[in-house]
Amino acid sequence: MIRSHPADTTLFACAAGTLPAPHATVVAAHLAYCSRCRGIIETGEAVAGEFLEAAEPKPLSDGALQRALARLDQPHAEPPRPAATLAGLTQGGRWYWLGPGIRLMPLARRDATQTRLDLIRIAPGVAVPSHGHKSFESTCVLQGGFADQTGEYHEGDVAEGDAPLEHAPRALPGGDCICLIATTGRLKAHGWVARLLQPLIDV
Amino acid sequence: MNALAELVRTPPRPHIRRDELRGAMSPPGGRPVEDRSERLILAVATHCDRDAYAALFLHFAPRLKAYLARSGSAPETAEELAQETMLTVWHKAPLFDPARAGAATWIFAIARNLRIDLARRSRLPLPEPDPSDEVAASPPADVIVAGVQRARRLRQALAALPPEQAEVVRLSFFDDRPHADIERALGIPLGTVKSRLRLAIARLRTSMVSDE
Repeated sequence: MIRSHPADTTLFACAAGTLPAPHATVVAAHLAYCSRCRGIIETGEAVAGEFLEAAEPKPLSDGALQRALARLDQPHAEPPRPAATLAGLTQGGRWYWLGPGIRLMPLARRDATQTRLDLIRIAPGVAVPSHGHKSFESTCVLQGGFADQTGEYHEGDVAEGDAPLEHAPRALPGGDCICLIATTGRLKAHGWVARLLQPLIDV
Repeated sequence: MNALAELVRTPPRPHIRRDELRGAMSPPGGRPVEDRSERLILAVATHCDRDAYAALFLHFAPRLKAYLARSGSAPETAEELAQETMLTVWHKAPLFDPARAGAATWIFAIARNLRIDLARRSRLPLPEPDPSDEVAASPPADVIVAGVQRARRLRQALAALPPEQAEVVRLSFFDDRPHADIERALGIPLGTVKSRLRLAIARLRTSMVSDE
């Protein structure tokens, strides 16, 4: 059972398309588990539909309709779109060793909003070195679970953090914990051990 | 002048008047007969109807261009994206399910996903409705009517939102920044932003499920 959801603000920004893409992928991963949040996304999309319908039409360039009609018979191939699931996300990716019991699979480099997307895999009982946040971070648990001072998170749960959150998440006993994490901005490292998180700090 | 259209066109302002959103309640000249767009998409889906497609294009492409330009795309990118969106509408028309979403909502989601793809050129877009949910036959007329009524109730609920709730809804849609920045834009604490949006979403969701 899902206990922890993205904030409504996150869900509406996601529906609107204004949420940075890596955070939107975290939301997408959560939606596979959560009908409540799918309902909120649908509401947001319906609101967006109203905004679109109400938009003052902007004239197109000359011949726009003719160009559109001419393209209809051309072959149309959609690129395959892997699902935001553990299997889909890890396709073709590689785990990098960060430290004892901690591995990272980078999925997307920092974009224009300074947001990146990674998978992190933590062995049972291992804690990620304590670090602080300067900006928004969202996490969806895809396997296992972890705990920090804000609570316990299990498969499908979303944890959102923002400045000034400082935490050292620890994987729960059992199997490896795998999380999808979107991080905006740099992390604040505490102590030499946090250098393990170098890829996320990018100093 | 459609007040909601004005909202979409103009840059963000710190405050929004209740009557600006209420404008959406009375259909302006530009709004088609309520279920027209849905029927056009179904005609494209079932008979590859090019006249229906042309009508859809003439209605939605200029609105998509306006919407995309409003949410930060350059004019030529906005038009290109509008073209790509409408081409996708042609190809995906058989997946359109009026029981799930109205025409404008469905077309918006296609445009949004294309824009996200373009922005990051990555392989992880938002999931679209599951193709396994594909509609087998044309939906009965009452499905379309129910969808139209749902859209109308949503429009009324949007227009009836208290101004401070309407404001956070609008900023969610037109401020292309991480959501916590709404706090800075409005000068109110994030907790207040979140609680206002929660109240707004509760009202909007109720409007979509209730059968009056």
